[in-house]
Amino acid sequence: MSALNAMLYREAKIRFTNFAWLFWDLFYPLGYLLVFGVGINAALGPPAPALDVDYNAFFLAGVLGVASFGIAHNTAWGFFVDRDNGIFYEMLTYPLSRAEFLLGKMIFNIALAILQAAITVGLGAALLGVTLRTDLLPLLLFGVAAGTAGWVCFFSIFALRIRRNDLFNSVMSVFYFVFLFASSIFYPLEPLPAAFRWAALANPLTWQVDLMRYSSIGLGDPWQVFVETAAFVVFSLGAFAYAVRCLQQQD
Amino acid sequence: MSVDSQTAAAALAVTELVKVYHPRGRPAVRALDGMSFSVARGQIFGLLGPNGAGKTTLLKILTTLTRPTSGQARVLGFDVTAQPLEVRRRLSVVLQESATEMFLTVRDNLLTFARFHGLRGAEARRRLEDVLARFQLGEEADRKVMDLSGGFRRRVQVAKMFMVDTPVLFLDEFTTGMDPLLKRDLMGYLRQEAARGRTIVLTTQVLGEAEELCDDILIMNKGRQVARGDLHSLKLLSRGIYDVALTFESLPPGLEAELARLHPLRLNVAQNTVEMTLKAEESEVLALVTGLAGRGRLLKMEVSGPTLEDVFIELMEEKPAPAE
Repeated sequence: MSALNAMLYREAKIRFTNFAWLFWDLFYPLGYLLVFGVGINAALGPPAPALDVDYNAFFLAGVLGVASFGIAHNTAWGFFVDRDNGIFYEMLTYPLSRAEFLLGKMIFNIALAILQAAITVGLGAALLGVTLRTDLLPLLLFGVAAGTAGWVCFFSIFALRIRRNDLFNSVMSVFYFVFLFASSIFYPLEPLPAAFRWAALANPLTWQVDLMRYSSIGLGDPWQVFVETAAFVVFSLGAFAYAVRCLQQQD
Repeated sequence: MSVDSQTAAAALAVTELVKVYHPRGRPAVRALDGMSFSVARGQIFGLLGPNGAGKTTLLKILTTLTRPTSGQARVLGFDVTAQPLEVRRRLSVVLQESATEMFLTVRDNLLTFARFHGLRGAEARRRLEDVLARFQLGEEADRKVMDLSGGFRRRVQVAKMFMVDTPVLFLDEFTTGMDPLLKRDLMGYLRQEAARGRTIVLTTQVLGEAEELCDDILIMNKGRQVARGDLHSLKLLSRGIYDVALTFESLPPGLEAELARLHPLRLNVAQNTVEMTLKAEESEVLALVTGLAGRGRLLKMEVSGPTLEDVFIELMEEKPAPAE
């Protein structure tokens, strides 16, 4: 437990002593919602005629998905920063297991994501008049936490396997393009061409966003959301196990 | 493992250690080729060798950063492969490359490191003040490491090791970038720590440091042990090598050519001073020096045995293959 505490202390010290960094982490999803969401809502209207919600309400879960993705990307990039500073390898000689190393990073980022989600959902709903399903808020928190954990582990695998930061950046650019656009973040999947829709349905980001959309505004089929949530948990556990293995192979 | 057997265990015990790397598209590299040795507790143990000798690989295995291909390595009785966490609880490591938390202050670097080793609160703060003073970091304590010079960063990296009392300390080229005065102080601290029972493993290319600090030295090359022992026993390996330095009031004419005919290992004549390294019997060297002393008025004369560097260079020189 003390190893995990130390890891959390380290992550918190780094983040909380760099105010600009912290401010960006906590507030950029709200900014995204207020700029992109409001813009699309005003210009194009509701996401689909059959859905009885405006774009701001629809996009709220999407922006939380983008935020989970962003936090995970920053965490993975942190491995490169730590490698450049030499501290990464020194930390691997500290008295903590590789699983604790990763868990520490994960738990800190989950806490950060929950704080970020509270700001985004609270202020976003108040400013844009989004009606929330307060009875499902614990499920929304679970979606934020599980999503952040899953994506932190998934991106960590690539940061640990790829040693060149230029290559890592290229991979991340592709991931942003594929995962964000072939998903239900920005638009409902029903009107999409079949191949596009199937690709989006196979995307773990869609699973996470669908859960958060259902738990924030009640939109979606509960049974489908349940299956997608289960799939996302399996995805996260697999990513965690493989990321730990990648850490064990660092030398 | 019982407390008794832990107490009895050597600080390091390495048996038939082999590490083979398989670089993509290139032939396999046997970085360690069956190393075996042990190190007693409370020693300052020097690991020397040229670049590519396998020192870093050995250090990585002993600090649980990499696994051996075969063989066994134990730190204080704990197997580095089977019990890595137990090993990590007992060691601190200064890596060759600079390793600090750039985004944190000096103070937070030290406190964070201590916390990983279970030290916090008043005891950590007391240690902090002591370490800041010892490493002359007090004025920099609240500056972020990213704003410090390379020398100060290195100082922070080494200072961290003194925040905790881990029984084994690994120092890989620890004096790189450090100013000579601090280096001297640090060497004194290391001797004190060893006297308190800490085992210190150091690798260095600066052989003078090893000569000054180490109780026990292992010289390796191409993944194998080449020589092992304390400084005196290693110097016996180069028995017959002498450094001679003579300063005349005025250099006798023709002396340099005369000395060159003796085929010294090294000959340097500058102003009125002659420096040479000879491989000869002790009696021959004394006779030579006595003869030279009669050639002119001597202001200064020094005759010394081989340095660790002489031993090292002799051991690293490739021996020609025997004739068929």
